[in-house]
Amino acid sequence: MEKKVLTPEEKKVLKSMFFRSHLVFTSFNMVKMEANGFTITMAPAIESIYKDDMEGKREAYLRHQNFFNTHAVPFSFIAGLAYAMEKEHKEKNSIDGQTIESIKAALMGPTAGMFDSLFFNCLRIIAAGIGIGLCAEGSILGTLIFILLYGVTQSIVKYFFVNWGYVYGTSFIDMVFSSGLMGALTKAASVLGLIMVGAMTAQMVSVPLNWTLNVGQTSVVIGDVLNSIFPGLLGVILLFTLVRLIKKGARPTQLILGIFVFALVGAFFRIF
Amino acid sequence: MVSAALQICLAYYIISILDPYIMSWQCLNRPIVVAPLAGLILGDFKTGIIMGASLESIFMGISAIGGSIPADATTSSIIAVAYTILTGADIEAGLAIALPIGTVMASIAGMFTPIWASLAAYWEKLAAECNPPKFAFQTIGFSCLTPLINVVILFFAVSYGVEGLNAFLASMPAWVMTGLGAATSMMLAVGFAILTSMIWNNEVGIFFFVGYVMVAYLGMATLPIAILGAAIAITMFMGEKRSIDLKNSMAASAAKTDEEDFF
Repeated sequence: MEKKVLTPEEKKVLKSMFFRSHLVFTSFNMVKMEANGFTITMAPAIESIYKDDMEGKREAYLRHQNFFNTHAVPFSFIAGLAYAMEKEHKEKNSIDGQTIESIKAALMGPTAGMFDSLFFNCLRIIAAGIGIGLCAEGSILGTLIFILLYGVTQSIVKYFFVNWGYVYGTSFIDMVFSSGLMGALTKAASVLGLIMVGAMTAQMVSVPLNWTLNVGQTSVVIGDVLNSIFPGLLGVILLFTLVRLIKKGARPTQLILGIFVFALVGAFFRIF
Repeated sequence: MVSAALQICLAYYIISILDPYIMSWQCLNRPIVVAPLAGLILGDFKTGIIMGASLESIFMGISAIGGSIPADATTSSIIAVAYTILTGADIEAGLAIALPIGTVMASIAGMFTPIWASLAAYWEKLAAECNPPKFAFQTIGFSCLTPLINVVILFFAVSYGVEGLNAFLASMPAWVMTGLGAATSMMLAVGFAILTSMIWNNEVGIFFFVGYVMVAYLGMATLPIAILGAAIAITMFMGEKRSIDLKNSMAASAAKTDEEDFF
């Protein structure tokens, strides 16, 4: 792969994305988690790529409004990569929207685990260990060293990550495209994306059923019965019901309100 | 007590906006930073720094992994520092007061979680308007407003005690609390459903269940799943590559035959 030379515009966009990538947790919510932060980070890239193409712009914004969750540091790498993919998508039409989604989905789970271990469980402990010693003696230096080691390093890594994501992403996509293997990449990306989404669904989505049927002397805990058939069966059923409704054109507002009402009514009749 | 409560609330508000919302380091909300800052705002920097060391040691092991934002260490540290500085109590007494306040704050803030989550549909509509300054202004502004609920709870808890807030929580029918909790845990399914419907592909859709089974039955972490997934994806990529190469070489040889025919 030859090294790509960045144009002034690309440099400007990447710099702006670096600053914006600190807004990871902006209006964090339980439906889409870091999606708003990702949209804000992608905005300079989308504006510079699509310019007057309103339809493409709208699609791109909605694409990056999807569920997203990872550690704050690899967040910027994935954003840089997404910039590269969006650019290829618009300029050469070599990579389709579905592949962009799949690659994002495939990366978020493993990067979250890796960087939580690296930063939160390792660097934070080291930084705090040094800081605590100094703070116990009443020196503010301890706090400053902690911020420098654990906070500022994150920003430095983020800066390189957003650039690497873009540069290596672009040359990788170019290489795949020029060898005519885009179809193969699309398929491989959707396989990996689906595996990771399945894994994250099993980890995160749950229906907290707490319903006990009393039949004569015995009582049956419905949730346990269903889980013994297939762990998290209700979660999977809920997910695919929602997928079906979305394919039929249901709006997210309707789905969220539906779940709200369903949960409250269910709780009233004591099934949750 | 009221003016002290106001100071504590100010410290809490500044810290909760700064990190995670502005910096996303999850570093400035650690006790070792929060305690000196609270000390500075309350006028006793030195005590803040020394308490920061002991509070960080206490809370170092308590972690929230995977996107959820740890707040308890922050709240407890601020309350503990404030009590020590304002009343002369020791750190244990401060933490003993912080614990029930933190619990009440968590349960009341938890009631709002499904409400904030239901705004996800609004954010999507806003993003589709393709107006980035407006989007950034509203989402960031919203992030600055949500901590205010905790600030208000903190204010009442510190100035009038947690008894009143506990009575309020107890007066809520149990099903409302359970219902809101159930709604929160099911809402994530909406986000995943949108994502799944975007990347779903009938040809390879079954791989969703491969990932699912790896977690649900085998209890694997995401990194090993990603490695196995990558192995499957690379194998698939190579298979596709071979068939594309074959197609190309067949087309090339067909073209060659055409040329030979021509001559």
